[in-house]
Amino acid sequence: MSHEHILDVRNVSLSFGGTNALLDVSFGVRRGEIRAIIGPNGAGKTSMLNCISGFYRPQKGMVLFKGTDLVQTQPHKIAGLGIARTFQNIALYTGLSTLDNLMAARHIHMKQSFLDSAVYWGRALREEVEHREFVEEIIDFLEIAHIRKATVGALPYGLRKRVELGRALALEPELLLLDEPMAGMNVEEKEDMARFILDIYERRGVTIVLIEHDMGLVMDISDRVVVLDFGRMIGDGTPDEIKNDERVIQAYLGQA
Amino acid sequence: MDEPQTIPQYFLQRVREYGTGKIALRQKEMGIWREFTWADSYEEVKAFTLGLIMLGLQRGDRVCTVGDNDRQYLWAYIALQAAGAVPVGLYTDSTSKEFAYVIEHSDATFVLAQDQEQCDKMLEIQAHVPNVKKVIYWDERGLWNYDSDWLISYEEVQALGRELAAQEPERFETEIALGQAPDMATFCYTSGTTGLPKGVMLTQENLLYSSKVYINVDPRYDTDNHVSFMPMGWIAEPVLGIASHVYAGMVVNFPEEPETVRQDIREIAPENLFYNSRLWDNLVAMVQVRINDASWLNRQLYRLFLPIGYKVADMKLRGEQPGLLLRLAYQLGDWLVFGPIRDQLGMSRVRSAYTAGAALSPDAMRFFHALGINLKQIYGSTEVSGGATLHRDGDIKFASVGRAAPGVDIRISPEGEIQIAGPTVMAGYHKNKEGTKEDLLVENGRFWFRTGDAGYIDKDDHIIYLDRLKDMITLANGERFSPQFIEGRLKFSPYIRDVMAIGGEMRDFVTALVIIDFDTVGRWAEKRGLGYTTFLDLSQKPVVYELVRAAVEEVNESLPETGRVSRFVLMHKEFDADEAEMTRTRKLRRGFLAERYGDIIEALYSDQETVKVRATVTYQDGREAHIDTEVHIMTVT
Repeated sequence: MSHEHILDVRNVSLSFGGTNALLDVSFGVRRGEIRAIIGPNGAGKTSMLNCISGFYRPQKGMVLFKGTDLVQTQPHKIAGLGIARTFQNIALYTGLSTLDNLMAARHIHMKQSFLDSAVYWGRALREEVEHREFVEEIIDFLEIAHIRKATVGALPYGLRKRVELGRALALEPELLLLDEPMAGMNVEEKEDMARFILDIYERRGVTIVLIEHDMGLVMDISDRVVVLDFGRMIGDGTPDEIKNDERVIQAYLGQA
Repeated sequence: MDEPQTIPQYFLQRVREYGTGKIALRQKEMGIWREFTWADSYEEVKAFTLGLIMLGLQRGDRVCTVGDNDRQYLWAYIALQAAGAVPVGLYTDSTSKEFAYVIEHSDATFVLAQDQEQCDKMLEIQAHVPNVKKVIYWDERGLWNYDSDWLISYEEVQALGRELAAQEPERFETEIALGQAPDMATFCYTSGTTGLPKGVMLTQENLLYSSKVYINVDPRYDTDNHVSFMPMGWIAEPVLGIASHVYAGMVVNFPEEPETVRQDIREIAPENLFYNSRLWDNLVAMVQVRINDASWLNRQLYRLFLPIGYKVADMKLRGEQPGLLLRLAYQLGDWLVFGPIRDQLGMSRVRSAYTAGAALSPDAMRFFHALGINLKQIYGSTEVSGGATLHRDGDIKFASVGRAAPGVDIRISPEGEIQIAGPTVMAGYHKNKEGTKEDLLVENGRFWFRTGDAGYIDKDDHIIYLDRLKDMITLANGERFSPQFIEGRLKFSPYIRDVMAIGGEMRDFVTALVIIDFDTVGRWAEKRGLGYTTFLDLSQKPVVYELVRAAVEEVNESLPETGRVSRFVLMHKEFDADEAEMTRTRKLRRGFLAERYGDIIEALYSDQETVKVRATVTYQDGREAHIDTEVHIMTVT
């Protein structure tokens, strides 16, 4: 089942008052691919991501994750199903250290009871050590050992983005949603980030849905691309197909 | 058992002494310091040594190594020497072309390249280095999909070694026993600012003796900690790190990443530290910045106790004993201020700290001594296995680089060159007979290394380094002096902003054009209720001349008599880059200055006491005006 869909977006429509943010959008995400969503400003990319992560509730349609309809699922349960995301505007606990931010993400995998953690001995201690080890692997993987104990709020932007990616990974997701992971970065930081994304995909087998503005980068790293324009889906295919699609070129370059 | 002669023989001795009972190494991984005993080290080194032999490594082979310092690197280093091979360190940030040069020049048969980054460089130059049989890596991240059979992992080599160990259980010990003191221990390629890098050949005796020199002066114990962060290709780490590790049993600690070195040093708090002078300067600035950001109370305490720290440091440096009251005050300051600062710097346990490179300003030196850090200057070079001179406890002079190390002889040639002889002098440059002949003088069977540095020895046997020999200027009487040295020392005075020292083959003595620091001298004058109007006015005050004369005399004391500043003038204006008197990076344009101020310079070499100058003043609207005035010349005795 190489083409098994881990995520199926079916006829999703979302409107705010009279404005249609998304109109009848349908696409599938295969297990183990990098799927990009692109489109001009205001095309509905982030709205689409918010529908998947349960932040918005579409008025029509279904978002099926491994057969479960996410539209009917409460947002806090969605993370437990194996979906993690990063935000366009970085949403970390700015007063905590890198390590604590990552450890906080592990809580959905922690089984200890209130009493266990209050005593912090035996089972609770063992569990903490296990999770710390998991988090340390991510720190090593993302090369952020030097800021392990640094307060996140004081870190430069590019590093905070990396910490946020680390926190999403700490959730051990099957599906990772990245909202403009490279926005505001310089070329070198972008290349680093692209390398991390490819490594996550290759070494950890995580399926990735990503929104990105940098076309060159999207075309380089993604397997298939969905194109949105004013809430409508106007293209779906491999990067090569998308590059030569008339409607996509029009949406980006305007009417000829 | 006989006294060991090589690093691997000392290693075996330590293993037998400590076994599983003592930590040999620590490495921070995943946020935790992992510990390895001497017995662990033994198994690792043995397997790797025998693996290398299985791969066809011969005694005397050269092997290039490159990577960040970590335990595998250290084990490999000892293993290479155990198998009789010669490690040649490359630098992690070198280009593949630089790799190729050293690998070819040293005829390396294997290369140890830590990770993907270094292996990529090797693959790039594979065709140019046909003698390299295998490239061994030990950090496999990113290398999973490489299918070159030129590459082999550290573990694979060790697995081969374990096979050989099963067949010949005594082989490892036999190999180590073959080692002798005159064996080549390592080649260090000098950076080579002029021409191609030269491969300095150092023997086991060189490295071990150099290490023992430090240990004799500043004892090391097996409870001491060393943080290994200097590149292995540089002489300091093999001597202060590896040789001291196997000789004194000191624990070697490896940082997690190059970026975490400073935090890791703080966690380990090593007993010995070696930074270059620029880093020490940076630390002074860092402490001052942090204090400015500290709480009001901490700032007040710092201001209160630092002068006491200075007072005690100055007395100790002069060899005096501070009184009881002062000692008590210092102790209080130590609890409240100095101790916490030392802790922040990772120096809470440091017994001896070293600086090398350019001269560290007396202010920086005093600062660290005030904080209770025993900072000492060392001087040496790769060709003499690192340090040839060092300060002893209680015998520290700011101007000197210390006395000759025990067993090392230092002399000054008639040309004023520092020359070094003793058991630490290299065996020569690899494949460079000409260069060896030029730099190593043979006299009565002893080898004297010509450093190319100018210096002299003062009455207390302290060596004073002046400058590179080629930058010295000769006087009419044949004596030489270093303008940069005099200028640098004079500028250590807070009252002096710029100096140009003058001499030359037509002159009999040294003179100087001195420019006062308008801010500090101005503040000094205000404090004394001294009125002044302009820069010119302030610079020509007799008391200001006296102030500068004191600074000149102090510097003169650290100079040989013939190279002292005899007369100086306080200039009526500052050197200005806009007038092409200096470059934008504030380097003097000597030729231009000599011409422009020719009158003043002539006056310095006559018996005049004043000289007329015409100063051009440029107003902000571009108009120019001339002021005719007189500046004084002061003679220093």
